[in-house]
Amino acid sequence: MPVSSLDRRRFIQIAGAGAVAATQIGCGRHQIALGQRREIPTTCELCPNKCSVIAVVEDGLIRKLNPNPENPKSRGMLCARGNAGLLQVYDPNRLKRPLIRAGARGEGKWREVSWDEAFDYTAQRLSAVKEKYGPQGVLWSSTEAFAEVFFKNLGMAFGSPNIVRHPTLCLASVNLAYSMTFGTVPSFDLLNANYVIMAGANRFEALITPDTMDLIESTMNRKTRLVCLDPRFTVTASRADEWYPVKPGTDMAFILAMLHVIISEGRHDKEFVANYCQGFEQLAELVKQYTPEWAEKETEIPAADIVRIAREFSDAAPRAVFYAGRRSSTYQNDFQMRRAQAILNAVVGNWDREGGMVPNAKIALGEYMFLPWDDPQAPRVDEMEKNFPLAAKGDGAYLKLRENVLAGSPYPVKAWMILKQDPLNALPEQAKTMRMIEQMDFIAAIDIQMSDTTWYADVVFPESTYLERLDPIEVLSGIWPVVVLRQPVVKPVYDTKPCLDIVQGLARRLGLQQYFDYTIEQWNDAAVKELPLEMPLEYLKKHGVYTPPGGPKYGATLNPEHRFVTKSGKIELYSERLQEAGHDPLPVYQPPLGPPEGRFRLVLGRKAYYTHANSTSNPWLLDFAPENHLSINPAAAASVGVADGDMVEVSSSVGAVRLRARLTQEIRPDCVYMLHGFGKQSPWLKRAYHRGGSDAAILETAWDKVSGNAAMHETFVKIRKV
Amino acid sequence: MPKIEWGILIVNYLFLGGLSAGIYFIAALATYLQEKDETAYARIARYGAMMAPWPVALGSLLLIFDLGNWWRFYKLFVHFRWQSPMSIGSWLLLLFTALTLVNFWAWLPEERRTALVARLRLPRWLDRDLAGSRRLLAAAGFPLSVGVAIYTGVLLGAVQARPFWNTNLVAQMFLFSALSTGCGVLILALSLNRKRLDATQLRFLYTLDICLITLEFFIVLPYLLHGELSVEAVRNSLALILGGPYTLVFWLLFMGTGLLVPLAIEVWEIAPALGSGAPLHHNRRLAALAAVLVVCGGYLLRYIFVYAGQLSSFSR
Amino acid sequence: MHDKRYALVIDSRKCINCKACVVACRAENQVPLGASRDWIGEEHRGTWPRLLAAFQPEQCHHCVNPSCVRVCPTGASYQRDDGVVLIKEEDCIGCRYCMIACPYNARFFREDKGVVEKCTFCAHRVDRGESPACVETCPSKVRVFGNLADPAGKLQQLLATRQFHVMKPQTGNDPQIYYLL
Repeated sequence: MPVSSLDRRRFIQIAGAGAVAATQIGCGRHQIALGQRREIPTTCELCPNKCSVIAVVEDGLIRKLNPNPENPKSRGMLCARGNAGLLQVYDPNRLKRPLIRAGARGEGKWREVSWDEAFDYTAQRLSAVKEKYGPQGVLWSSTEAFAEVFFKNLGMAFGSPNIVRHPTLCLASVNLAYSMTFGTVPSFDLLNANYVIMAGANRFEALITPDTMDLIESTMNRKTRLVCLDPRFTVTASRADEWYPVKPGTDMAFILAMLHVIISEGRHDKEFVANYCQGFEQLAELVKQYTPEWAEKETEIPAADIVRIAREFSDAAPRAVFYAGRRSSTYQNDFQMRRAQAILNAVVGNWDREGGMVPNAKIALGEYMFLPWDDPQAPRVDEMEKNFPLAAKGDGAYLKLRENVLAGSPYPVKAWMILKQDPLNALPEQAKTMRMIEQMDFIAAIDIQMSDTTWYADVVFPESTYLERLDPIEVLSGIWPVVVLRQPVVKPVYDTKPCLDIVQGLARRLGLQQYFDYTIEQWNDAAVKELPLEMPLEYLKKHGVYTPPGGPKYGATLNPEHRFVTKSGKIELYSERLQEAGHDPLPVYQPPLGPPEGRFRLVLGRKAYYTHANSTSNPWLLDFAPENHLSINPAAAASVGVADGDMVEVSSSVGAVRLRARLTQEIRPDCVYMLHGFGKQSPWLKRAYHRGGSDAAILETAWDKVSGNAAMHETFVKIRKV
Repeated sequence: MPKIEWGILIVNYLFLGGLSAGIYFIAALATYLQEKDETAYARIARYGAMMAPWPVALGSLLLIFDLGNWWRFYKLFVHFRWQSPMSIGSWLLLLFTALTLVNFWAWLPEERRTALVARLRLPRWLDRDLAGSRRLLAAAGFPLSVGVAIYTGVLLGAVQARPFWNTNLVAQMFLFSALSTGCGVLILALSLNRKRLDATQLRFLYTLDICLITLEFFIVLPYLLHGELSVEAVRNSLALILGGPYTLVFWLLFMGTGLLVPLAIEVWEIAPALGSGAPLHHNRRLAALAAVLVVCGGYLLRYIFVYAGQLSSFSR
Repeated sequence: MHDKRYALVIDSRKCINCKACVVACRAENQVPLGASRDWIGEEHRGTWPRLLAAFQPEQCHHCVNPSCVRVCPTGASYQRDDGVVLIKEEDCIGCRYCMIACPYNARFFREDKGVVEKCTFCAHRVDRGESPACVETCPSKVRVFGNLADPAGKLQQLLATRQFHVMKPQTGNDPQIYYLL
């Protein structure tokens, strides 16, 4: 077999498909046997779905990523992002070496340094903060990743209580609402449901595995009925049997009216309610007032339709679900709206049955026994106990945390360690996040690309991309759970390290090495020990995924002996814990504020080719929408004198952005919409830099009162042609 | 909406190829009309022979430069594909260009020919008198020149994906337009010559051109009528010239200044001779103007058809 | 009759315009940006709130009478016995006549190579026994790829039981992508 160095021309071809200028890759470093073609299973990291992929590697270059049909969750599909993932590896603008800031923050002057220098410098700066403000003076924030556990552990071993994760920018309100009701967060068996109501969820544009594929299968092949509520005519709406452009913020009125019809007509599952639920009488009493006629005024959905849908829904139960969706909070009462959903689902008895809501099955993984550290001395800076006593404390509440950090109360937080997160774009009110950055003595970021936030860091640690590293083995829970392995398919192209190596490098210099005295291989060995396989690791390396045979199982919790993880041990329609915490024990409707004269509600949503704010610089993806637009109904546009393609300024009380208007019939006249992930400030995100506008710059700070989850639909904007 | 793939180079090529064909055809006609010691037709034939090779040669070069891989153009002549108008056309072009060169040689005055052979150091056997073969060369030129001229239209007309083109009227339109532009160039060349314009020449060329323009008219009009009465896609594609981006250039520039105005001038010029056999009006400037307009009209026809045609397509 | 005739049956209603097929094709065939071998046709109609949005995956139809093959002057465009229409890159002179002759605008000109390019049905994958990249990667399995000549095959089964249409049949190309209704 002939041996040669990497074929430079082909590399460039892959890297930019001809569009990218020559890069300074160390081509001569790897000696690769030509003509070699290997297929290596691994796990995607372009979004939180974690689909299984098979990387085709030819001559040491990733040629193609194919779906791995062995994963019952991703089911032999790979979306646009998954297919474009290989460009992460060959992106000439990615982070290649550790960097230390040389100029002022945001000036973009960097010094390439050795890993040792980056570790030493960071440890020294962190120690300085620790000395002055205590370990709680360092904030550790991260977003969802297999290796997030190492980073989080470093923060805890360091002694900081201030670990903040993504859920309060994500689905904390959904999780908490379902947990408070069922003691767990279930999945929705869209594959087998005969009746699905989706409000605000957009499963055909924002892909979730297996929900998206399940819904396509059930609606298209089995003629499952889909009812969609959305202020936008989304692709999901276009495929629904019925679509109602519900008045934003009134979903709960629709749900309560459904409950009214179902309960007043005795259509609920009486046996199920009697056996498994508590608080039904109080619920029945509460929803008496919520008549369909009342709801029609709130929601703009005809009362007759509400009645009919409630009847059809309860007739179809238990193969009927009101789908929870997966998105950040919309309004400040989001938790209560989610609770109303959960309760509606519960009273028709669709719990743990085929086609209903199913508690997630899990696969137990072993744990590597590392040395435990002392609990932090200080309380959390976001004062979870006081503010959100029911919420998951370990995840923190991001927006409240930012308020307190800015106020320096209850104590100062002066250093910020960031893993894979871009708070400047992920949090509403960018200017505030920027102030938080400014008041930090020190910021270090671990990332694969120079995100907007990383751009303002003092030290940048380049992480190896998901195709270049071995990650901790993970279980994806669900109706049909699966164990997945992410293994390297090529060697790191640049001088990058996986998260654990970075964590260990820092731990050594912080005197915390004893808590991280393991390798990733040892960690994984411990994880798979319990799997019912002869050579579990070998199996996973070969297949990329393991799933227990037999497929989904239903009904394990459906016996009167089962204790739900709630205070009463039952499904809590009425929650005493909520009452104790000073919240409504049953969902009580509060009408949303409407947009003031001349303003529009900004609504958000995702597209399947961008993940949050982090994939708009991928050239294969950016190709589909080179910049974002402000979607506005022509009638509304006329009222503010805006024509299609006009540059407009969209402003709220906290900021303004400029982008082009796109007139579309597919949105309510009182709402406007823009795609997330644009208007980037980091010039290293070459393709997304200064394209369109960032929604984070104009979103106002608001959160759900119970979970602390960021509420993203509470902003009214003014539109002006510029 | 389809993109424009064939641009101005192809327009030029179709025009130039047709122009050479037209010149050659008319020169060949003149060759046959020439009787012993007659000079009027002989001059037309000679002018034609001198001019014919160059537009088509230039056009072929443009065609080659328009290729994505121009150095692979030889592959056109490695294969012959009877279903491909371009393949047929390439062979026609090759044969026709060769013929125009031989004809050029045959009409070259002896002293020039000898000088040229000496200057270019050509083989001596080339310095031979081919005057005796002129009529034979003219005869060979009729099918080849008509073939080349009509092929430029067939190239477009044979594309069933583009309803604007997909009628054989396009081929006839291009043929008569090509002959007319040939006529125009000959009128122009003769009228630019210092020597007095010969009434015989003018009568011949005007008569011919009036016939050709008239024929062109009666192809363009049926083309429009047929199209309007045709299937939806064709009707829609005609909107490109009947109320679309090419309406102005089609009606004003092509039909108006490219056909009607030169026709009017030529009819006026020849009018006195129609009834009584009186001498022509004989205005050298007007003759030149008519000729230029005819040539421009021919060019615009190619332009309109190449561009508008590519924008036409079936909707479903 | 050949024993193999590859074709696609597409259930456009299942298409959610996620573009997975477009990127999969770009990656598999190293298609440069600015052009695509496959794309999603979009139709948006209506006035708020009575609206329609429809998507239709499109690519080369691998016609039975491919006009592109007919007009090619060098034989670079050709059709295999199994119906797949391909381009011999080394014989393509870049005249782009085939692009003009294609009723589906399925071909594009590749500036860097000076040749015309289009969907190959991923012939290199199909010959290995795999399915085309666009077919494989699709979350909703909009495309069904198979052998139309197989009377018991899934294509014949679908076409026997479902209504379908083909695009622009008037051209006489006899396109081989069948869109289910």
